[in-house]
Amino acid sequence: MSNLYERLGGEAAVNAAVELFYRKVLADGRIARFFDGVDMDQQIAKQKSFLTMAFGGPNNYTGADMRNAHKRLVAQGLNDSHVDAVIENLNYTLRDLGVGEKEVKEVAAIANSVRNDVLNK
Amino acid sequence: MSLLRYEDRPVDIRPGETVLEALLRAGIDAPHSCRAGNCQSCMHRAIDGAPPPESQSGLADAQRAMGYFLPCICRPTTPLTILRPDDLNASLEAIVRAIDPLSEDIIRLRVEADGFAYRPGQFIELSAGEDLRRHYSLASHPEEDPFLEMHIRLHQDGRMSRHLAETLQPGDKVHVAGPSGSCFYEGVNVDQPMLLIGAGTGLAPIYGVLRDALHKGHRGPIRLYHGARSRKGLYLSDELRALSDARDNFNYRPCAFDPSAPHGGDVAATALEAERNIADAAIFLCGGENLVKRLKRELFMRGASLKNIRSDVFTLSG
Repeated sequence: MSNLYERLGGEAAVNAAVELFYRKVLADGRIARFFDGVDMDQQIAKQKSFLTMAFGGPNNYTGADMRNAHKRLVAQGLNDSHVDAVIENLNYTLRDLGVGEKEVKEVAAIANSVRNDVLNK
Repeated sequence: MSLLRYEDRPVDIRPGETVLEALLRAGIDAPHSCRAGNCQSCMHRAIDGAPPPESQSGLADAQRAMGYFLPCICRPTTPLTILRPDDLNASLEAIVRAIDPLSEDIIRLRVEADGFAYRPGQFIELSAGEDLRRHYSLASHPEEDPFLEMHIRLHQDGRMSRHLAETLQPGDKVHVAGPSGSCFYEGVNVDQPMLLIGAGTGLAPIYGVLRDALHKGHRGPIRLYHGARSRKGLYLSDELRALSDARDNFNYRPCAFDPSAPHGGDVAATALEAERNIADAAIFLCGGENLVKRLKRELFMRGASLKNIRSDVFTLSG
């Protein structure tokens, strides 16, 4: 059995998902404020990077990168409920794209695995 | 001889090594994060030589056309000279050819700069003296005009404004550096709908893009919205109206602030109401920061792809 990233469709799957996902995040009143004032083009590249990681694709992120990238947001109140909301939006995005429940769960589990680093716990 | 040059110096790069690894090994503090070609933090620009196509993966068409690439996934096989993404090329001498009024407070500056390559809609840094430098967008077309054309709003207390209005004369020397920016036609499909929205002198790049689209035989519908604080600010409206009358696929919609007009004459609200079907459109947004940010977000939320939205934010510096 090929790995998760290949089963999902690799980079093409990330490209298909990234704008759908970003729209859902920006439309979600629970988390939209964390994206106020950020440059959308830079942000979409970061979202792509995040999805690549969550899809089990190539990345070299370290726990320290995750911590540094979210430090400012944690200071603004980023907590578990916001991580839950992001993962929820990720699930909806994958279902919109017709991804099977098994893969949806695997992606959610990878996203969840960086929770403590993201929240600087 | 090394395959890699950074600015004006050679940088040693080993076989199989990425450009990012070579830069870091040479002690150059190059920004980076994911090291996997995703986050784009490390983006640089090649000014000589072609970066391998895989090192431009995920970049917008406009960025690829300008030589942008990702050092963390770039293993060059042919020589490359690279710059930081915001670095301008050396500046060139230019001669002022004409300074004419376009409206009450907007002038048209034309300067001649031999061998200055650009795409209509990009911006340059104009230097009119020691620390008197400003960015202006180009409304001219390199294959149609023997000059660079800028549209400049004059501010009462602006140093550059006063210099342009009171001192500078045809024949005087200035310097130009660049070009920069991704507001240009290249990368748009000839059948794609185009949506162009400019406010104030944000019309300059929009006008440049429009001219290039027509020059290159664009076939899809083109809709141009120009916003101004008053009717007098709707410069070039005669030219744009004439074009709109002469071309089936070009539509011009001037919007001046006016309490009795629909949406008070607000260009963003007017365009957002009229433009419902933008998922496949090539979109160009030029104007103040609030306007550009608002339109970009709204159009994206309505289904426009960010890679199809090109924008330039105009900041006020007199």
